[in-house]
Amino acid sequence: METVTAESLLEPDFLRKLERLAIGAKRVRLGHARGERKSKRKGSSVEFADYRDYVQGDDLRHIDWNILGRLDSLYLKLFQEQEDLTVNLLIDASKSMQFGSPSKIAFARKAAAAIAYIGLVSNDRVAAETFGDGTFRLAPCSGKASTRKLLQYFAAIEASGTTDLEAACREHTILNRSKGVTVFLSDFLDEAGFEGSLKRLAQTGSEVYVIHVLAPEEIDPSVVGDLKLLDSETGAHTEISVSPSLLKRYKQNVTGFTEAIRSYCLARGMSYVLTPSDTPFERLTLEMLRQSGLFT
Amino acid sequence: MNAWLLSASGWLRGSFLAPAMLAFLALIPIVILLYLLKLRRTEVEIPSTLLWIRSLHDMTANAPFQRLRKNLLLLLQVIVLALLATGLARPYMQAEGTAGKHLCVLLDRSASMQTLEDGGKTRMDLAKDEVGRMIDEMEGGDQMMLVDFAETSNVLCELTDDRSRLRAALRSVDLADTRTRIRDAILVAHSLKQTIPDLDIVIVGDGNVSDLNEMATRAYDLSFLRVGNATHNLGIVAFSVRAPVGGSAGDRQTFALIHNAHNEPITTTLTLTFDDEILAVDEITVPAEGDAETVFTHPDLGAGVLEAQLDYEDALAVDNVAWLALRPDTQIRSLLVSAPDSISAYMLRQVLALDSRVALSTSPPENYQLTDEYDLTIFDNYVPDEMPPGTLVFLNGVPPLDGVEVIGAIENPPIIARNTEHPLMRFNLDPSNVIISAALKLKIPADAPALLSTAGSPLIADLSRGGRQILVIGFDIADSNWPLNLSFPLFFQNLLAWVPRSALAAETSVPAGRPLTLAASADFESAEIRDPKGNSTTLALDPMRSVYFSQTERTGIYEMKVGESTLPYAVNVLDRSESAIKPAEALELGRATVEAVEGRVRRNRELWTWFLVGALMFLCFEWWIFSRRAWA
Repeated sequence: METVTAESLLEPDFLRKLERLAIGAKRVRLGHARGERKSKRKGSSVEFADYRDYVQGDDLRHIDWNILGRLDSLYLKLFQEQEDLTVNLLIDASKSMQFGSPSKIAFARKAAAAIAYIGLVSNDRVAAETFGDGTFRLAPCSGKASTRKLLQYFAAIEASGTTDLEAACREHTILNRSKGVTVFLSDFLDEAGFEGSLKRLAQTGSEVYVIHVLAPEEIDPSVVGDLKLLDSETGAHTEISVSPSLLKRYKQNVTGFTEAIRSYCLARGMSYVLTPSDTPFERLTLEMLRQSGLFT
Repeated sequence: MNAWLLSASGWLRGSFLAPAMLAFLALIPIVILLYLLKLRRTEVEIPSTLLWIRSLHDMTANAPFQRLRKNLLLLLQVIVLALLATGLARPYMQAEGTAGKHLCVLLDRSASMQTLEDGGKTRMDLAKDEVGRMIDEMEGGDQMMLVDFAETSNVLCELTDDRSRLRAALRSVDLADTRTRIRDAILVAHSLKQTIPDLDIVIVGDGNVSDLNEMATRAYDLSFLRVGNATHNLGIVAFSVRAPVGGSAGDRQTFALIHNAHNEPITTTLTLTFDDEILAVDEITVPAEGDAETVFTHPDLGAGVLEAQLDYEDALAVDNVAWLALRPDTQIRSLLVSAPDSISAYMLRQVLALDSRVALSTSPPENYQLTDEYDLTIFDNYVPDEMPPGTLVFLNGVPPLDGVEVIGAIENPPIIARNTEHPLMRFNLDPSNVIISAALKLKIPADAPALLSTAGSPLIADLSRGGRQILVIGFDIADSNWPLNLSFPLFFQNLLAWVPRSALAAETSVPAGRPLTLAASADFESAEIRDPKGNSTTLALDPMRSVYFSQTERTGIYEMKVGESTLPYAVNVLDRSESAIKPAEALELGRATVEAVEGRVRRNRELWTWFLVGALMFLCFEWWIFSRRAWA
């Protein structure tokens, strides 16, 4: 098993490239703390928003004195409230993610770290959760100072156990009521199906970005002969005699599988990105995720 | 269990010509084992089998027999192996009719085929119906050959696909009253089988054959289609006249043996007639499937035809009557001119007395007078001045003939040559180890055949000329050990048969189908023979040797008219195998026992070619499936 350290997870050069990016929430959300993002709330930032009549009890500091002098009326100057954004990273760390070259979990780990780093750089609150052999959470953190803690968290993720995506998502939505951006990285190889988990996430009201990670071998298998396939998670075996027609049928199924998830996501306002685990990171972050609207 | 095993092994023997080859079926478990080994799959751990299972389900949904197909190669291989092993065991089935293509039909037309069956048809009619049906069933390209057999065999139609010719040949088959000899017909068919291996040989008849013991001990591959089932028959199987032993001179005894082929005793009467006058009637009871004999004693009847008639109506009429042509004056009148107490005279008397046809007179040389009373005159150490008529034998002397003389004597002449083609040397007579102490050195005409020769001189020579048979034996038999040699009586037996009159003295009854012997005649050039139906045939006679008349397939009295005299010949069935009309259950031919079939011929049709074709087809199919899976 590859050993990943916080330092090796993201290279400094790449980090610098990431710093130019920011999490682009399409919808304005209500955050918990004042941050650098516009909020629906009018508040005390420097950005003007509107005027309104003064009512008793209003903070006198917000009265627009220029208007008072010119019109002799009390108007309150309203400023756009700026607040932080919560970026939730959900990572499928079931055993099936361990496969691939490079492995899907390595890819997911790195991608999640990159997104999280961008979040920190943008002064967003970043939280993470991995589903696998138990749930492994990263408490929300913000500020660039949390970078090391965050990288250590991601470096420690290992793929093991079975997948029950729906149960994991349900638990996540119960524990995290805040709306923000949710990025879900998984291979969705769950016998129970992908619909339950995505449905749960859609119900949170967050912006959901689904990053579907598949190994290149899963998309275009190179197996030949009579094989006994062992499911890494369930241990179940399936005997196949690889034939061109079977391979063709398999590829059709893979395409159908990814398209089904894409359609499901789009129908519920979620963004979907299919990424083979050998996709270059620069392409993923600077191109694919940007196109999906996750980054600006 | 044992009973089951026995019946199973019996079935195997009955269905396969080489059941041992079924042992190859034991390879099937090996193939299955190999198949299992072949399918020992490589284990591969993958993230999830989800998509693979879905793909497999899709495939299954598209191919309803996917599960079967999974094992289809194994199934096909097992089928191929089973077909090959079964084919090697040479399976066959009993199929009606013949194998087609090439068929040789051997049709019995002997006396027993005249048997009247239920329904009013004779066995020959039934047999012809069967053969006619075979002809009708011939398909394009099939060929048939038709051979009939009785006393002799005839190829009626060589292998042909022309049905009209075959039908014409079948129509031409005529019944004979003869016994059944099948050997020649089978030899003809089997010689043809050497060049046409798929020739089917079918014997059509009742299987009552008299020469089965003459068949070579080999395997005969043929079928026997039996016709008829009647058994109700009485038949005369022996009929003869003889002088009673110890009886009064001039008395004769007529002996008749009756065979009952039926499974119940039959009582009837036998009437003995001489020249149409009833001599006697005797009641006889013949046991079931047994014989009864009857003997009539009567005075010497002289020349005439003696007839025995069974007064009984049965399925086969031809054996109910038998005849004897009595010719009391046809003995070979012989005269031995020799010193009465000489050794050679003694030896000659002994050897001539062996044949009952010989009426021997002796005369010392000094009393000899020229006479024409004798058919055979033997001059022992004596040469008359003038030769009498008839057959003459000169022992240790030469006849007064031109070109014949004694030119000296030879001591201890070795026998260095013999003429095996002369009638006197028949029966492969071989006197080469005879020791002769002294012989005459003879000079004979160049065209006279020497029967036995030593260096520079004949020892025995045939000097016949002018219609007269003259034999010279150039040594005294007392000066040799020839009388002690087997060739001596055989030579004199040949000599008696050589005498023309012996032909008349011979058979009082001739089996149907055998030739009648007509004696050599210097006086007449031809004889007219009238068969029992009244048809006449003129036959040229030979002054020197007997002539044979072979058209004797029908029983009855044949009359030979030579000049003004008429001589009867009796032709009879007198054959137990023909009178025993019960059809044979099987033919014991050499090493083969050919079971009789009735109705339709059943042939063993070998099926191995079909099994081979099937195996090849399955093999191709298997290859196609394999290729489709591997490369499609």
